[in-house]
Amino acid sequence: MKIAVCAKQIPDPAISVTYTDGKIVRPDEQVLDDTDRYGIEVALQLKEKYDAEVTVISMGKLGTQKGIQQALQMGADKALVIEDPALENSNSLMTSNILSGMAKLAQADVVIFGTESSDGYSGVVPQQVSRYLGLPCISYVKGIDISEETELTRQTIAGSEKVIMPNKCVISVTASGVEPRYPNFKDIMAAKSKEVEIVELSSLEFTAEQNQEFVEIKSISSNKSGEKHIDEGDSFNLIIERLKEIKAI
Amino acid sequence: MKSLIIGEVSNGTLSSGTLEIITKAQENNLDFKLVVIGTENNPKIGSDTFEVIYVHLSPDELSLSSAADTLVDAIKTDSIELVLASSTYVGRDISGFLSVDLNSSPVANVINFEINGSTLTTTNSIDGGESEYFTNVTSDVKILIIRPKSFEASDVTLSENYTTSSVEKNDLTVNVFDVFIEEKTGPQLEDSKIVISAGRGMVDVGNLKYIEELAGKLNAAIGGTRAIVDAGWMPYSQQVGQTGKTVKPDVYIACGISGATQHQVGMKDSKYIIAINKDEEAPIFQIADLGIVGDTLNIIPKLIENL
Ligand SMILES: Cc1cc2nc3c(=O)[nH]c(=O)nc-3n(C[C@H](O)[C@H](O)[C@H](O)COP(=O)(O)OP(=O)(O)OC[C@H]3O[C@@H](n4cnc5c(N)ncnc54)[C@H](O)[C@@H]3O)c2cc1C
Repeated sequence: MKIAVCAKQIPDPAISVTYTDGKIVRPDEQVLDDTDRYGIEVALQLKEKYDAEVTVISMGKLGTQKGIQQALQMGADKALVIEDPALENSNSLMTSNILSGMAKLAQADVVIFGTESSDGYSGVVPQQVSRYLGLPCISYVKGIDISEETELTRQTIAGSEKVIMPNKCVISVTASGVEPRYPNFKDIMAAKSKEVEIVELSSLEFTAEQNQEFVEIKSISSNKSGEKHIDEGDSFNLIIERLKEIKAI
Repeated sequence: MKSLIIGEVSNGTLSSGTLEIITKAQENNLDFKLVVIGTENNPKIGSDTFEVIYVHLSPDELSLSSAADTLVDAIKTDSIELVLASSTYVGRDISGFLSVDLNSSPVANVINFEINGSTLTTTNSIDGGESEYFTNVTSDVKILIIRPKSFEASDVTLSENYTTSSVEKNDLTVNVFDVFIEEKTGPQLEDSKIVISAGRGMVDVGNLKYIEELAGKLNAAIGGTRAIVDAGWMPYSQQVGQTGKTVKPDVYIACGISGATQHQVGMKDSKYIIAINKDEEAPIFQIADLGIVGDTLNIIPKLIENL
């Protein structure tokens, strides 16, 4: 079995995102999106079960490749990456078009994602990739059981449901259910010698187009000048008073 | 603009997200048709004022991809220019599938849109609601995925007046072998007038009993931050924020919540916000109508006692 797992490098989420001309400013050093760790964890569990090969696929500004290294350190075998000016500020369809091509290059049977990136969070790329590749889509997976046949538990609005993982499919994994592993020292050292192959845009079939034209960003600072009280043991009274005033009780 | 709304069923009727989109469509006098996707039998989702089609799927298989095939045909036949879906599991799956066939990238997390002749401008909320991001959508077919609570829910009268259509299963269908329905008791986050949310400032999972007691007294729904959901204190279905639910109650009581932008996205439009936090500088106070600087574990038990 061959597995492709998508990993996105994003600006450090602890620092707030900045924009120029409507585009997210991306520093040279970006980190692995936390959301992707869940997908990588599922990929690694499948690797252990099926002796599969796991290829990280990633699109976007490469920079120092810190995030790619973080994905390899968790235990993926190699990486396919792409950066091209034509892909800057890609919409979800452009992204999924490219990632589908990379999954094909990796000859992936199973393609795994987090549910949504932390910086773009459109939440449709896994579904789009499944459609491009003509594979079943098992979205919002929140649990995996590999003890016998591989069972995937999906999150649904009403609760959850289980399916047997098809031999070929696209999976998106939510941020719960699996516990992403921390790399140990050996894994960190081993990652340095793993192959990172840079893919040229010309080697992929690319038909998706940009369909969003940036207009403007408006600040709507919603800071309220609400009242603030230091508790001196009786603020419960104030809360009750206000709840009564607004007729909540 | 000829439009198609992708609707969903919830408890035998239209989901609140669907009703919210209908409000916006009617306000804008859109010429729309509602295609509802669901697994329930005989839901009351019809209308005498607009056309409703029910795409009835089996709960025992994942067949949204087949439903998408049907929708693509309908969109092409009717020359639909605008497709509106809710930001839900089903809405995102379907929009993702459609977008590839229609070669039109969806605009996700839309909180508002405006139509001026043939120009459609979408609004997204960024920086935890501190700024709005506007774009024009230029593709022939425009697909928008709308965040819940962006518009008031419509109070349209629903009837049995709709046609049911089945879908032709494609070979991407996957069988489901176990369906678990989470029991939902008490007020639900999406439609409760009061929401009480807990954060790491409740200190220990055991202290959530105070939140439950308070919620009981106020007939409120309970939410939480990602920090406590990740810590296993609460199920994901109760997470409020960017990656969880969006709520807009009359009163939101934030207990021991710092107020990270990703949390604010999901609650800042609540009508009256009360925050209890021992850190005077906590960002949650910037959006609170009433801020109490103090210890949750002192204040909440007294509040319960005196209500
Ligand atoms: C991509 C992304 C998506 C995210 N999505 C979400 C989301 O959907 N929802 C969400 O909530 N978060 C989300 N987060 C996480 C978010 O950034 C914060 O980490 C999280 O909201 C913090 O939760 P908290 O307020 O419970 O914890 P903390 O930030 O640790 O805050 C705890 C607060 O409790 C106060 N406190 C401690 N003890 C007491 C006491 N005894 N009495 C009173 N106050 C006390 C402290 O002063 C502090 O302000 C997301 C993050 C990322 C990067």
